[in-house]
Amino acid sequence: MMLSLLLLPAFIMFGVSFIKKTKAKYLLAFTSFLILLPIVKLFLLPKPYNILGSYLIADKLDTYVLLVSSIVGIGVTLALLTLDKHVKVSPNAYRRFYRFFAIFWVGLIFSMLSNHMGIYWIGLELATLSTVYMIKTNYTPAAHKEAWNYMIVGAIAISLVLFGIILMYASAKPILGEDAMNFDLLLAHAKDIPSPFLFEMGFAITTLGMFIKMGFFPMNLWLANIERASFYPVAALFSGILESAVVIGFFRFSKIAMEVNYNHLFIFVFVYTILTIFIVAFLIYRAKDFMRLFSLSGVEHMALIVMFWVSGAPFAALLHFGAHAFLKPALFLSTGVLESNGKYKIAGALRGYKGFKGGVFWFLVSLFLLAIISLPPSPMFFSELYGFGAMITTAKESDHMLAMIAAVLFLLVLLSIIFYRFVAIYQSMKYEGEESEKEVYSSELFALVIFAISLVGLLLPQTLDYLRSIS
Amino acid sequence: MIDFFIGLFLASLIVALFTTRLYRLLLWYSLNSLMLGVLALSIGRSIDDNAMVITGIVTIVIKAIGIPYVLKNLSQKFHFVRQITPEIKVQYAIMLVPAILVFTFYLSEPIVHMIHTNANYVAISISSLFLSLLLMMEHKNVAPKIIGFLAMENSLFLLGVTATDGMPMLVELGIFFDLLMAIVVINLLFHKEELRV
Repeated sequence: MMLSLLLLPAFIMFGVSFIKKTKAKYLLAFTSFLILLPIVKLFLLPKPYNILGSYLIADKLDTYVLLVSSIVGIGVTLALLTLDKHVKVSPNAYRRFYRFFAIFWVGLIFSMLSNHMGIYWIGLELATLSTVYMIKTNYTPAAHKEAWNYMIVGAIAISLVLFGIILMYASAKPILGEDAMNFDLLLAHAKDIPSPFLFEMGFAITTLGMFIKMGFFPMNLWLANIERASFYPVAALFSGILESAVVIGFFRFSKIAMEVNYNHLFIFVFVYTILTIFIVAFLIYRAKDFMRLFSLSGVEHMALIVMFWVSGAPFAALLHFGAHAFLKPALFLSTGVLESNGKYKIAGALRGYKGFKGGVFWFLVSLFLLAIISLPPSPMFFSELYGFGAMITTAKESDHMLAMIAAVLFLLVLLSIIFYRFVAIYQSMKYEGEESEKEVYSSELFALVIFAISLVGLLLPQTLDYLRSIS
Repeated sequence: MIDFFIGLFLASLIVALFTTRLYRLLLWYSLNSLMLGVLALSIGRSIDDNAMVITGIVTIVIKAIGIPYVLKNLSQKFHFVRQITPEIKVQYAIMLVPAILVFTFYLSEPIVHMIHTNANYVAISISSLFLSLLLMMEHKNVAPKIIGFLAMENSLFLLGVTATDGMPMLVELGIFFDLLMAIVVINLLFHKEELRV
C-alpha cells in the first residue's frame, strides 16, 4: 500500500505528461506536491517500516533523505513553470522532461528505500538513465554532446558500482547465501565475512564509481560541463536529488566497511576527499560563470559530507547534506534570473530588481550566497563546526592527532580560498556592473521561499534532535 | 566445455577491438553475448540452478539477438558512419591487449585465491571489463562507444555468473530492464530534434 502511494504521483505525472494542452503544465507542478504526502506519512510511521518485505525498508536516514529530495522536487517543478520565460524550450521537450522526471522519481524511491544492494543499483541506474534525456531537452549542440558524455561517464560509473557490489556479494555469499545482498544482514555479519579483502576491494570499486558520479577528482569537470550545457532546473535536480541517492548509497556501504576495517576506509576516503577539495578550491577560484561556480561548490560540499561521515560525525554530515540539498538547487534555480544578461555577466547580477518580488529575490539570493560561505547562522556553519570538531575527537582516540590537526588546517585554508571567491563574486554582483531591470516570476520566487523555509527548518531543535537520533 | 565458451567470449571481445566496420562489430558483440548466454546455461545446468538457466535464455534472446537487431535498425535509420577506424593503431593495440590480460591476471590474483569456484573466470571477466573500456576509448564515433558500454555490461554479467554462481534472479531481471531502458534512451539521443517554440 505504502509503495503504491509513493509511486502513484510519479505514474500520474507520467500520464499527464502526454496531455498536449498548455494548462497541463500546472497539473504537472501540482502532481509534484502529491509526492510529499506519502513521504510525510512515512515520516510519522514508526521506524524501521517494512515497505516491501526485506527489500524496501524505510528507516530514519532514508526517510530524511526522501523528504529533502521531495522538497527539492517541488521547488524544481515550480521553477519549471516559468522556464520558457528565461530560455527557449519547446512544449514537446517540456512534456518529455516531466515524463523522464517521473521515471527518475521511481528510480530514486527504489534506490533510497532499498535495503538490498541490487535494488539500490537498479534504482540508481534507472535514475541515471532518465536524467540523460533531461539534459537533451535543451536542443543545443553543446547539450546534445554533454548528454552523450553523461551517458558514457554515467555508464562507466554505474558499472563500477555494480562491479563492486558483485565482489561484496561474492565475499559474503558463503555465510549469507542470496541474502548477502541485504544491507542489514551484511552489517550484522560484517565481522564474520570470510574474505574481508574481497569485500574491501568491492567497496573501494563501488566507492570509486560513486565518487565519479559525485564529480570527485579526477572526474571533477564532467558534472560542471553538463550542468552548464543543460537547463538550470536539470542542474538543480542533479545537485539536490540525484547526488542524494548516490550519497545515501555511500552511507550504507560505508557503515558495513567501517565494521570490516575502519582504518582502511578512513584513509582511502579521507585522502580522496582532501585531494578533491584541493583541486576544486582552485577551480572555484577560476570560475567565471554562476553554473560552474555552483556546480564546483556542490562537489566541495559532497566531499565534506563524505569526509564528515567517515570521520565519525554523521550528525554533521547529515546537517551539511540537508543544507547542501536546499541551497544548491535554490542557487541553480536563481541562475535563470541572474543570467538574464548573459552567462558571464557576474558584475551587477544582483542589481536592477524592482518592486516587491525583485526585493524578495534579491534578499533570498543574498541569503543563499552568504549561507553557502558558512556565515552563521547558516546550517553549513554548524555542520562544519561539528564536523571538524568530531574529526579532532576521532583523532584523539588514535595515534594521528597531529596529522589530523594538519589536515584540518589545510582544509580551512582551502575553504577560505572558496569563501574568498564567493565573497568577491557577491560584491561584484552587488556593487559593480551596470544596472538593468530584470523580471522575477512568482512561481520561481515561491520555489526560493520554500528552500529558505526548509533551510531555517533544518535549524529547529526538533530537526537537530531527529538528525542526532539517526547518527 | 565451459573453458571453451569462456575462451570464445574473450576472443570475440578481442576481435571486436580490431574491427573497422560497424556491422561486423555488432556481429562480434552478438557472438560475445551468445557465448555469455551459453555459459550461463552450462553453469546453471551444472549447478542445477534454474534461475541461471532462465537468465542464460534471456541473455541470448535480448543481448545476442534483440539488441544487435535494434542497433542495426538504428544505424540504418540515423545513417551512422559505418567505417569505424580505431584511434589506437593496430600494432599498438596488439601489444596493449596481452598487456591488459597479463595485468588483470596479476591484479586479480589475491581475489582468485578467495574464490574457489571458477576462479580464473573472475580474472577473465575483469580483463573483459578493461577491454570493453578500451573499446570505448579507442573510437571517436558514438556507435562503438555504445557497443563498448554493452560489452562492459556483459563483463559484469560474467563476473556475476562466475564469482558468485549467479546473482539473485530479481537483480538480474532488474539489470535486463535497465539495459532495455538504456537502449530506449540511446534511441532518443539519436533524434536530432528541431527547436519549435
